[in-house]
Amino acid sequence: MAEVRLTGVTRKFGDDYGLNDVTMTVPDGSFVVLLGPTGAGKTTTLRMVSGLDLPDTGSVFIGGRDMAGLTPAQRDVAMVFQQYSLYPHLTVRENLAFPLRSPILRTPAAEIARKVAEVAETLQISHKLDNKATALSGGEMQRVSIGRALVRRPAVYLMDEPLSSLDAKLRSDLRVELKGIQANSGATLLYVTHDQIEAMTMATHVGVLDKGRLVQFGTPRDLYENPVSVYAASRLGQPRINVLPADVFAGAPQGASTIGLRPEQIHQGEGEDATVRRVERLGDQTRLHLAFRNHEIITVTDAHTALRDGDTVKIRPTAAFYFDAAGQRIA
Amino acid sequence: MTTSPIDRVARATPAAAARRIRGLSDRTIAWIFVAPSIFLLLAVNIFPLIWTIRLSFTDFRVNRPNNDMEWVGLRNYQRILTDDDVWQTMQATAHFLIWTILLQVLIGFFLAFLINKKFRGNDLWTTIIVFPMMLSPAVVGNFWTFLYQPQIGLFNYVVAFFTGADPAGFSMIGDVHLAPWAIVIADTWMWTPFVMLICLAGLRSIPDSIYEAAECDRASKLRQFFTITMPMVLPFLMLAVLFRGIENFKMFDLVVQLTGGGPGNTTTLTSIDLKREAFEKWRTGYSSAYAVILFVTVFGLASIYVKALNKVKDR
Repeated sequence: MAEVRLTGVTRKFGDDYGLNDVTMTVPDGSFVVLLGPTGAGKTTTLRMVSGLDLPDTGSVFIGGRDMAGLTPAQRDVAMVFQQYSLYPHLTVRENLAFPLRSPILRTPAAEIARKVAEVAETLQISHKLDNKATALSGGEMQRVSIGRALVRRPAVYLMDEPLSSLDAKLRSDLRVELKGIQANSGATLLYVTHDQIEAMTMATHVGVLDKGRLVQFGTPRDLYENPVSVYAASRLGQPRINVLPADVFAGAPQGASTIGLRPEQIHQGEGEDATVRRVERLGDQTRLHLAFRNHEIITVTDAHTALRDGDTVKIRPTAAFYFDAAGQRIA
Repeated sequence: MTTSPIDRVARATPAAAARRIRGLSDRTIAWIFVAPSIFLLLAVNIFPLIWTIRLSFTDFRVNRPNNDMEWVGLRNYQRILTDDDVWQTMQATAHFLIWTILLQVLIGFFLAFLINKKFRGNDLWTTIIVFPMMLSPAVVGNFWTFLYQPQIGLFNYVVAFFTGADPAGFSMIGDVHLAPWAIVIADTWMWTPFVMLICLAGLRSIPDSIYEAAECDRASKLRQFFTITMPMVLPFLMLAVLFRGIENFKMFDLVVQLTGGGPGNTTTLTSIDLKREAFEKWRTGYSSAYAVILFVTVFGLASIYVKALNKVKDR
């Protein structure tokens, strides 16, 4: 396993930046999740590390070695593609065994069979081993695609939205499995998603990308409690952080343009009046949609609250985030 | 009251006729629409086929329509299948088919593989390569006779340049051993681009991401070729072979222009032989039997082949 380091990596597609001066260190044995909307540069980052795409400027290091000029095979990376990319005329078994059959590895046949069986078990596709890759559902293809990476012990695993087309139950199963595999093997894993639950539950570190720039890198907790901008703050948290003009509450610091309030930063029971617009009972929690001076605020309250639509509730910010006009955090 | 043409037609239709038209079922209307096509198909396709089969059991001659037609049973078939000359044309056809298909597939695939690489001007090259295919076969046959001309022919000079032989010392068309290759070369020149286009379609249908996955899985270029490229292009390649096979089984114009079936009958393909029997010797019954034999052969081979093709596609 190895540390992955990017220094000043820039990649342009025409006039647009795919990646803009990204510098980031993925520590050895860490599980790094890249977050951001479509086009933020998440997949491009993976392709830079894998060597499928090359940076215009900047360098990629894996295990301390400069990867310039090295092919994906030489870099020893395993990648899970968003579009699965299975070998269509091969069976699931042959697909899973494919990376092990590389002459570089010289894996004995019995060892290949054992590993394939083990991975198939983990991913719950043992019963499909003899199916053609084309005769699978989307979720099954995605699992084979993950399996094809997991049969190997590469320097780095690169996964591009590997759980996106699975159903909820399987997704939460595999979240646990993946995290377990990574933690036990000490593998370095770079993982792209826009599902913040995956980021919060699996990541040791989260990188937030925006239009090709790395805006924040840190532990999920750090990111949640200490976001550098409105954008970074909006990536994590369910329900989303509420962003209001800074002057709706008294006490905003100099230069603050907006105030960001996560549910736990809204103290209920004292302060100013807000009207309950809607009460969403989710079982383990209840969400309140509040109308406050023409702004909508979504927060969380006691699961068994007696509040009903039209009621009035008093709210007050506690330890809120303040952002300047450009969206940067100032307090 | 509306006055659209349809309303006027409706009003002008006698009540009895109108009732009859309105009473037509969907099925009847469907038949009315399909009937002209079916009639045409029967008239120009099915009827001649059946009539040919009928004639193949007679000694009918179309240039003597007033003679009595005699039933000869299977005698025509027997005579054809025991005729050494017929077997020789069959051999010439097999030689032509096997070599044209082999060469066109090999060269066509190789060209497609090169053209599929991303380089400047590959569209221009595709257009240039595809050019021979757009010419008329008779024209191609005609100008290859000039290329093969021993005294002035470019082909002989090129061969002479590389081998040091005397350019006037051999004639591709006049020599009994070279003539079968002369038609193979001309046909390959003309139709390789077609095979290339089909292979190119196959190569372009393979997503880049599969190669990228193989790249990460550390498969060598050679292994990528044999485990990804070949299996995924194979159905396209087989389709090209089917098209070329059927086309070349009935090859006529190019070869007639180029060699006229000679020297002797070394390049007399079955289609040329059949045409002579039917429209030069006017042995209509005999040539009908000949045609039926060819039809069954092509149909049988094509059916077996299409089955194999479908199996490959389902893999």
